Amino acid sequence: MRYRAYTTAFRVEARQQTRYRGAAMGGIVTQVFFGLILVALYDTLSGGTDEGFRRTATYVWLQQIFFRAYFNLDSELNDQVMTGNVAYSMLRPVDLHSWWFWRAMAQKIITIAMRILPMLLLQLLLPERWRLLPPADIPAFVQFAFSLLIGFMIICQINLICSAISMRTLDNKGITAMINLLMMILAGNIIPLTLVPDRLQTLIRLQPFAQLLDAPIRMYQGMASPGEWLAAAALQLGWLVLLWGLCRWMWSRNLLRIEVQGG
Amino acid sequence: MRYMMNAMRMNLRRAAQYRASFLMQICSQIVMTGGDLWAMLMLLERYGRMGHWEGREILFFFGAMHLVFSVTEMINRGLGHFGSSIRSGAFDTMLTRPRRLLTQVLLSELDPRRVGTMAVGITAMAVATALIGIEWTVWKVLLLLWSMTATVCLMLGLFLLEAVICFFSVQSIEMVNILTYGGRQTCQYPVDLYPDFIRILFTYVVPVALCLQYPVSRVLGRPMAAGIPDGLLWLCPLAGPGFLALMTLFWCFGVRRYRSTGS
Repeated sequence: MRYRAYTTAFRVEARQQTRYRGAAMGGIVTQVFFGLILVALYDTLSGGTDEGFRRTATYVWLQQIFFRAYFNLDSELNDQVMTGNVAYSMLRPVDLHSWWFWRAMAQKIITIAMRILPMLLLQLLLPERWRLLPPADIPAFVQFAFSLLIGFMIICQINLICSAISMRTLDNKGITAMINLLMMILAGNIIPLTLVPDRLQTLIRLQPFAQLLDAPIRMYQGMASPGEWLAAAALQLGWLVLLWGLCRWMWSRNLLRIEVQGG
Repeated sequence: MRYMMNAMRMNLRRAAQYRASFLMQICSQIVMTGGDLWAMLMLLERYGRMGHWEGREILFFFGAMHLVFSVTEMINRGLGHFGSSIRSGAFDTMLTRPRRLLTQVLLSELDPRRVGTMAVGITAMAVATALIGIEWTVWKVLLLLWSMTATVCLMLGLFLLEAVICFFSVQSIEMVNILTYGGRQTCQYPVDLYPDFIRILFTYVVPVALCLQYPVSRVLGRPMAAGIPDGLLWLCPLAGPGFLALMTLFWCFGVRRYRSTGS
C-alpha cells in the first residue's frame, strides 16, 4: 500500500512532462549543434586516428542526448521552498524524500524519452564519420541501460541534495549553480572523460560525478572483461547508496528544524 | 551617461545586499570558465598542439573570446531576460519612462558578477602573452582593442536579435543560443580548426572570427589559414558595429509593432 503513493507521483509527473513536446524541439536542435561543434573539433585534433575518434564522437553524442537529465527539472519544489508552501507538503502522509525522488525520476525519464528519437534522427543527417556508433554488442547495451537507470537515480539524489541545501539557505542560485557546474565538468559533458590524460584516468573514474553518464557510456562502448564491468557496476551502486543515505539524512534533518517563511 | 552610472551603482548596491550569494555566484562564474579552461588544457595535454597552433597561442584566443563574451554579458543581462520581462509586463513600464528604450533594457540589469569571468579571460591572455613573448607595439594594442570592442558590439547585436525575436514569439527561442553561446563555444578556439561550413558560418554569417580572430592572429604574428589580405585587417572588425547597427534598426521595427501581453 505504502508504495502506491510513490508510483502515483511517478505516473502523474510522467503524464505532465509529455505536454512539453513542442518546447523540446528547439532544445534538441541546439543540443545537436553543440554536439556537432565538439565532434568537428575532435575530428581535427585526433588527426586521422579513426578508431579513437569514432569512440569520442559516440561519447559526445550520448552526452548530448542525455544532457537534460543533469538538471533539476522540478521547479515546483524550489517554488515551494521559496514561498513556504512546503509546509503543506509536509502534511502529506508520505515520506517527502521518496515522494520528490520519484517525481524527479519521472521527469528525467520522460524528458529523455521524448528526445532520444529526434536526436538520433537529426544526427543521421551528418556525414557518416561524425555519427553515433551502435553499442558494442547486445550485452553491452543491456549493461548500458541498467547502468543508465542507476545514473539517473544518482543525479536525482544530487539534485535533491541541492534542494536540501537551498531549503536551509533560501538561495537557489549560488550553491546549486556551483554544484551543477562541477557536475557538467566532472561528468564528461564539457570534455569526454575518456580524453582526460591517462595518469588521471583512475582518479577521474572513481569520483562520484563519473557515475552519472560516464560509466554507462563506457559500458555502451564495451568493457574489456566481465570483471571490469562488475567493478564499474559495483562502484556505481556504492555511490548511489552513499548519496542516497546522505540525501535522506539531510532531508530528515531539514524537516525537523524547518522554519517556514512568511504567512 | 549619468543614467548609466546611476544604474551601475544601483545594481552594485543590489548585489551587495546578498553578499554571500553574490560571492558564490562570482565563484560559480569562475568555475564555469574554469571548466572550459580545464577542457582546453586536457586537450592540449593529449594532442600537444591544435592544428598548426601551439598551446600558448590557443590560450590567447581562448582568453580573448572569454573576455569579450563576459564584457558583453555584463552589459546585456537585461536582454537575456527579455522574454520574461515582456511576459511580466516589466517592459511596458519601460515604455512609459522618458529615457531611451534600449539604454533602459541594457542597463536594467547590468551584471557586476561577470568580473570573475573577465578576470579569467585577462589572466589567460596575460599568461599567453608572457609565454609567447609578444612584442607589443602601439599598433598591435590598438588593433587588439579595436577588434575586441567591435566583437562586443557584434555579440550585443546577436543578443539584440534574440530579444527582437521575443517580440514576435513571446516564448524566447532556445535556438538563437546557437549563435550567441554557440559562438562563444566555437570561437574559443581558432576557427580554422573547424571544417569549412562552420568556419564560414562564424566568419561571414556571424562574423565573430572576422571581428576577433583574424586581428588576433595578426597580433600573434601568425596568419589564419584561409587568411585575409593584410590591408583589410583593420576593416574586418567593422562588421561588428555594422551588425549592431542593423540589429538596432530591426529592434526599432520590433518596438513599433509591439503589442503588450496584457496583465
